[in-house]
Amino acid sequence: MTIHRFAHADAASLQEVVAALDETCLPLGGGTDLVAMMKAGLMAPERLVNLKTLPDHHGVRPGDGGWRIGALMTLADLAADPAVAEAPALASLVEAVLDSASPQLRTMATLGGNLLQRPRCWYFRNPEVPCWRKGGRRCFAFRGENKYHTLLGGGPCYAPHPSDPAVALLALGAAVRLSGPAGDRTLALDDFYVTPTRDAQRADGYHPVTVLAPDEVLVEVLIPGSAANARSAYVKLMERGVWDFALVSVAVNLALSDAGQVAAARVALGGVAAVPWRATEAEEALLGGSLTPEAIDRAAEAVVAGTRPLEHNAYKVDQLKAALRQALRRWTAD
Amino acid sequence: MPTIRRTKVEFEGRIEEREVIVEEEHVEGWTQDTQMRWVGRPLSRVDGVARVTGKAGYTHDVHLPGMLIGRFLRAKQPHARITGIDSRRAAALPGVHLIWHRFNLPPVAHLDGRELFGEELAYEGAEVAFVVGRDARAVGDALGAIEVEVEPLPFAPNLAAAAAEDGPAVLVGEDNWITPDGDIYARGSVEAGLREADVVVDLTFTTPTAAHCCMETHGSAADWEGDLLTVWHSTQSVFGTRSSLADALHLPMDKVRVISNYIGGGFGSKWGAEAFTLLAALAARELGRPVKAVLDREEEHLVAGYRPGSRQRVRLGATKDGALTLIEQEAEVTTGAYGGGGPVIGGPAKDLYLCPNVRTVVRAARANTDGARAFRAPGYVEGTFALESTLDALAHKLEMDPLDLRMKNYADESPSRGEPYTYKGLQRAYEMGAARFGWPPQADAPAAGPWRRGYGMASQIWGGGGGPPANAIVKLSPDGTAEVLVGVQDIGTGTKTVLAQVAAEELGLSLDAVRCVVGDSLPAPFGPGSGGSVTLASAAPAVRSACREALRQLIALAAIMLELEGADPDAFAVEAGDIVYRADPEKRLPLTQVTAKMGNYMIVSKGARGPNPDDKAINTFGAHFVEVAVNVETGQVRVERVVAAHDIGRVVNPLTATSQVYGGVLMGVGFATTEARVIDPDTGLQLTANLEDYKVPVMVDCPEIEVLFVDVADTAANSVGSKGLGEPPIIPTAAAIGNAIFDAVGVRVTDLPATPDRLLALLAKEKTQ
Repeated sequence: MTIHRFAHADAASLQEVVAALDETCLPLGGGTDLVAMMKAGLMAPERLVNLKTLPDHHGVRPGDGGWRIGALMTLADLAADPAVAEAPALASLVEAVLDSASPQLRTMATLGGNLLQRPRCWYFRNPEVPCWRKGGRRCFAFRGENKYHTLLGGGPCYAPHPSDPAVALLALGAAVRLSGPAGDRTLALDDFYVTPTRDAQRADGYHPVTVLAPDEVLVEVLIPGSAANARSAYVKLMERGVWDFALVSVAVNLALSDAGQVAAARVALGGVAAVPWRATEAEEALLGGSLTPEAIDRAAEAVVAGTRPLEHNAYKVDQLKAALRQALRRWTAD
Repeated sequence: MPTIRRTKVEFEGRIEEREVIVEEEHVEGWTQDTQMRWVGRPLSRVDGVARVTGKAGYTHDVHLPGMLIGRFLRAKQPHARITGIDSRRAAALPGVHLIWHRFNLPPVAHLDGRELFGEELAYEGAEVAFVVGRDARAVGDALGAIEVEVEPLPFAPNLAAAAAEDGPAVLVGEDNWITPDGDIYARGSVEAGLREADVVVDLTFTTPTAAHCCMETHGSAADWEGDLLTVWHSTQSVFGTRSSLADALHLPMDKVRVISNYIGGGFGSKWGAEAFTLLAALAARELGRPVKAVLDREEEHLVAGYRPGSRQRVRLGATKDGALTLIEQEAEVTTGAYGGGGPVIGGPAKDLYLCPNVRTVVRAARANTDGARAFRAPGYVEGTFALESTLDALAHKLEMDPLDLRMKNYADESPSRGEPYTYKGLQRAYEMGAARFGWPPQADAPAAGPWRRGYGMASQIWGGGGGPPANAIVKLSPDGTAEVLVGVQDIGTGTKTVLAQVAAEELGLSLDAVRCVVGDSLPAPFGPGSGGSVTLASAAPAVRSACREALRQLIALAAIMLELEGADPDAFAVEAGDIVYRADPEKRLPLTQVTAKMGNYMIVSKGARGPNPDDKAINTFGAHFVEVAVNVETGQVRVERVVAAHDIGRVVNPLTATSQVYGGVLMGVGFATTEARVIDPDTGLQLTANLEDYKVPVMVDCPEIEVLFVDVADTAANSVGSKGLGEPPIIPTAAAIGNAIFDAVGVRVTDLPATPDRLLALLAKEKTQ
């Protein structure tokens, strides 16, 4: 089926964008998700506002000892930006970006769009399947073909959040700045992503997983300055070498004391929940200790706390442990 | 002169005796020692630059003045009955020229015995209506505006449902089993095989439904000039397409021209005329304008065929010293709502090894999906995976080297036919492959991390001998250039290039003085479809024969010019562009000097493929040696190195041949590790109808591939000494990978693809035992 008819306008200013946005008028970044959704007939906005013509939010700036990344930056530019690529603390973000999609897609896709992707679940993406997430009555994956689905957070939707950078950013303690008609607000990613509920629903039936309002636009990602010894890693397990969504992924951000003790730890998981998932049990298991094999084992056990596999995805429990081990082992040779 | 003969013809594992019309070739076979100028050289494709610069015109690239676009509205459910269609609103939309459907049938609604726009929609994607409009936009709007009323019917989306005692009928009024008793091959007896065995291995397997994923999706464009129909069609068989279109449209064959200059992959799925081809032709006639109809990527997954998934059981018996006493292989497949009897899964079992007791059975059932199609070595890929995996298990049980076990049961003559081979170079392939790979593998040092390394191998047999009929025409112009017309097509294998090499060799011309025209039924005489790896072995001897005949004519002229009128043409040779009188090499003339004499006279000659030898089997063989790494914590499998050694007779072009092997191995890697079509059992809808969810390997998944050829001319097979290579290189890869995984981590992969979830489950099971 061909795409429906819609109006398209290039945005000149953020004010103009914010004034135009509503349920029928959506912002267009790289289009790698939105256009695919429109082609499948799953989204049918009457108007698109092209954000790429905005003068700002295409680059990285320093801020508060950390980094401010424009939401319109393409993934390719982000990974190549010296301020990001050469910052050891952002290693996980660079890995997550380069593990995303394919080179072609990364030259189009923006960071903001990546964080706001809709699920890649094969039931959700099929226009003939009236699944709960897009306004139907039930999750077809729950008792269906669910090998790629979630282990954590329960239903009513079992589709994992597809973004890799979101997982890395969650572990980095990042926040997002949103612009709306009432001005800007800044939210930690922990508060930006919320598991889908019956109460939150768009006019087209979609249950969102962010608190972004229809008339708001994500303009910037804020990464706090990190401790001198902070280090981060992102491990993504896929079925093929690239261009695959995570079976599971683990992002770790650790601050180590001079004695090698874990002074601060943030662990986030991808591919296992409807939102990028904070693994607080694993963080607690790591905190205060050093990265001994025993400590890594304890953290690996803790990272799967509360997992409830579906019929076909129990392997993800083992993979979560393995991915966390892989991430932590990178620092044990130091 | 042509004559009628009874001969054995093999195609994709099926051997039948039929009457064929053959001509003698009138050429001496090239021997192993024949000095060659063009044949055997690793030459770039003659159309390589056109292909990589985008200049090559594929069917998708056909743009004709006034051309309209056609497209099907397709069933959105696995099984339903159409009760009503209202297309009035759609027909009134701007730019919509024509809509055909069940209640407004086109002039012809049958193709190759199948009804189009029937009442019953038996699979997701079945044709509901055909819309022709100004452009894709107008057609898309119309498709969305057609109102269809259906009554859903119960459906069986897979083998389990179709085979269930009280399972729903896939087609109303038809048995779900197409071949309830199965397609059976047997020699000796299973009981005797078991009785004589000291060791028995009995394993069950499943293989995935695999999609061809042609880069160029299926499509056709049609144009009428008076009563002459020209069809551009992305096809592996221009003449097959011509026949079925002429038949469907009740046209004389000479009124149908089929063109397929470039094909973006077929792999067995692009055989003849399709519903969109017929409808494009009908609509073009109705509207008096050309019509193009091509599938999009989703349609390609829904309706363009697949290798059917299989359930298999293999039982092998052997004596203590490894002599096989029994090969038994049972397979069940679903071939879709309108599929055929199933592929020859038992082909390798009956022919790969010396064994007195063999029994193979393939049972095929319907399911509410589109029809299965031939897919690169149909049956042999899935059959070899099960057979060669079980043989590996037998080797371990016998504590024998897997290669030694294969040599122990080496068949010097065709086990199923009881006839000698024209040539069998499998032992040489084993030796070459083992030497390059380093087999038997040395034990690795114990692994420190989670990755384990393993080594495995597997063997392969296939046909690929080709045969008659195939014709060629040669036109030799006064400037000494030649056009070679052959009714085959180059589906990406390099046919155009290798046939030009053969012609240049035979004519004694430079390669750039020869132009090979394929993929067009109008100028070219008949050539076979490109399936069963038959193209080269069928067409190249015909090309040689036609070239030889052209030379005879040229030699007759040269003889006059040399004042040797009436001399036997065979008394002359062509050497370095000169026609030379053998008895007196001083008497020679440059070939171009002779052609220059022709003025406006054109030498035109024809040649035909001669018969295959009586009472001999023609086969291709090969072996793959594979190194894998398996991560015992994540279940990931990395295929790191493949050494592929193949016996295909003489290699005409090592570069294009190597490219075939790369492609086959990589397709085998995908089949073994990542690819699977998933149909939702609950809704009957396909969940993988795109290239995101249907996972073909990407470049980083590509192992290091080393390609070796035995490269011994099979002089008994045909006058060129070559056999086909399209299919062999995909056949043994999956089994070799599975065997390497076993070597790495001690678990036997019996269900493909070997994805991390399966590996982790196998490893967990192994740990608890």
